[in-house]
Amino acid sequence: MNMKNNTSALKPILIGVAAACFAGQAFLQSQFIFPKWKQDFSPGRGKMVANGLSPDQMLFALTGFREMVAGILWVRADSFFDSGNYDAILPIIRLVTILDPRQIDVYATGMWHIGYNFTDEEQRSDRRYIPSALALGKEGCRSNPETYEMFFETGWMWYHKIDDDYSNAVKWFEEAQKRPDMLPARKNLLSNAYERNGQVDKSLDTLFSLYDSARKTFGEDKSVFGNRQNRDTLERKLDTTLVRMGQRGWFASKEGRPLTGYDVNPPFDVNFSCKVSVVDRRVLKFEGTWGVKPVGTRIRAVLKDADYPNAEPAGMLWDSSNDVNLDPPRDKTFMQEQLFVKNTRFNKKVDMSKDPTMYPFSGDKYVLELYYNARSAPPHIQDKFGWNGEGMTDKNWLNTEIRPGQRVIYATLPITKDMILRRGEWRDKVPVVKTSNFKEDTSKSYNSGDSFVIDLPALRSDDRKQ
Amino acid sequence: MRAIVSIATTTVGEAIRRRVLLIILLIGVLFLAVAPGLGVLSARSETTVLRGMMLGVIQLTSAVIAIVLTVYMLPNEIERRTIYTILSKPVMRWQFLIGKYLGSILALGLMMLLMTAVMVFFFWWQQNRDFSAVPDLLKAPVMYFIQMSLLAAVAVFFSTFVAPLVNFFLSGGLYLLGSLFNPFFQTLQESQQTPPVAKAFAWVINTALPNFANYNIQNPIINPGQTIANEGAYYFQVTVYGVLYIGILLVAGIWVFDRREV
Repeated sequence: MNMKNNTSALKPILIGVAAACFAGQAFLQSQFIFPKWKQDFSPGRGKMVANGLSPDQMLFALTGFREMVAGILWVRADSFFDSGNYDAILPIIRLVTILDPRQIDVYATGMWHIGYNFTDEEQRSDRRYIPSALALGKEGCRSNPETYEMFFETGWMWYHKIDDDYSNAVKWFEEAQKRPDMLPARKNLLSNAYERNGQVDKSLDTLFSLYDSARKTFGEDKSVFGNRQNRDTLERKLDTTLVRMGQRGWFASKEGRPLTGYDVNPPFDVNFSCKVSVVDRRVLKFEGTWGVKPVGTRIRAVLKDADYPNAEPAGMLWDSSNDVNLDPPRDKTFMQEQLFVKNTRFNKKVDMSKDPTMYPFSGDKYVLELYYNARSAPPHIQDKFGWNGEGMTDKNWLNTEIRPGQRVIYATLPITKDMILRRGEWRDKVPVVKTSNFKEDTSKSYNSGDSFVIDLPALRSDDRKQ
Repeated sequence: MRAIVSIATTTVGEAIRRRVLLIILLIGVLFLAVAPGLGVLSARSETTVLRGMMLGVIQLTSAVIAIVLTVYMLPNEIERRTIYTILSKPVMRWQFLIGKYLGSILALGLMMLLMTAVMVFFFWWQQNRDFSAVPDLLKAPVMYFIQMSLLAAVAVFFSTFVAPLVNFFLSGGLYLLGSLFNPFFQTLQESQQTPPVAKAFAWVINTALPNFANYNIQNPIINPGQTIANEGAYYFQVTVYGVLYIGILLVAGIWVFDRREV
């Protein structure tokens, strides 16, 4: 039965209407709706496909159940933390942050976990993960730009974990400070970061400004203990900073006065030397001298592939990644250790034999780096060395190039895979690499086990007899 | 006009009497009712989970209802031969199709209204009888209604020339694709490794296909605190977009249906 109604007369009108509707929707979609949706309503802000979510995970990501699923996954991750199954946590962190990018706790915990928790048997962090941890932090900042937390956490990673490039710590703390929800006590850290970055004037300005604000807050409500505590802390910190600036010749230097009589002048020769022996397969022994008697010196020792990607002297380009890659360069080695100095010498064994995945030694050539910067030194050492190492020198290893604006101690020693693995010609003899100025110390006190007794002289005294 | 209204009214009555739709609706309402208790399973804030879960239930249930309601609409009329009694009267085919479509989205709207009312009640109750966050929450069901109207138009269009089962998967598939394509396109657009040809192709698809993701506005509602400039303008634009796309689909549906032997 043909019950067709005749609409052929309307054909041109229908086609015209449909074409106009199509053009209209296409214009709206491409020019207005999609850009706005991307900016304000996108669930994963473009990460879902790029980060390889499976179709079912993507579906979850697009429904309203994301937060629920992400929360349940995070509870599951907690049990992995308890059992120490850290590898299993990584994919959960990634998935949860994609499903629910507003869950700041996961970003913060995940960043800390990736940066700190992957360690070898001797509790050395696997620093190959740090670019990924920072990338996660940056992603957390992008996903939560209205709150200070991820900016602060990312800054903290630079300040505490990387502990070398403080300009980045300053950058992130400044960003955190711009957010109105930043906790007052946490704001104080910005002045510390300025100080460590050599921006002492800015540190002082920040302290004054924070102190004024803390005093005002305390004046408004004296019954709150935290208000009083914060004001007192800032007052003490302000006093200490002013004393240090005077003591370290900062004001004199600014005013162009001679630094005669100040602690940082004349620069103190640290007399650095080092010898590294491969005492067993993958076991290195660091010995050397550092002519500073007060305790508190830690020299950074780095062993890495000679062709380590994005390498920098005594480190790497930590900020090299914008993608959270949970698979660091597994064929590369990057070991970093601190050599603690006591009684002007250091002596430490670094055993990498128990962690072949962290130290694969798959390349042929490696480089050992010994590094010291005054910016990371404790205050009592900085009293002598200054904020930028101006009170420190070394006739052999002073370097003013690798860290612009700073005087650091830096030495490199080449070493090969055969030496580290004690194979080939090194099978029966102990490979040794050392700085040209290294001299063996045969003194009884150092080798007899008495070295735990530490002399504690003051650097300020003119007595520099060792 | 009267013909369209009476067909639409009859369609609403039919839809409300269909048991399968009522069962889907009941399941949706049940999920909404138990949602406040499920927050404890998650590490996330209970309010966040509750908002996400309730909006998810409404969206998913509405999508199933929209598809089930519309895929059988025309085929059933043809199979039962009831269409002959209608089209033998002075009713144009386009009036019949539009009446059916309007009736189905009206029925869908009533069911969504019921679910929204249940959601509002339980949300208000969970928030210690505080009504302040409810208006913000209501934006999502309104946008979902336009989304589902678009989905219903897709299913009505397909129902003019394919069998119900095929239509079910076609419409469902297009809904998924249309929901996934915005994030997929965003990823392609932001990736520096994607060749320009692929980006251009993706742009064509993203501009031509019905984009259901435009109506997924729940993120800032679930995670409040985000400042959105010109929010009202966006809602207006996506509404116009939906109306235009529904217009295309209905015109195409009328065109196909008009040429079809029944």
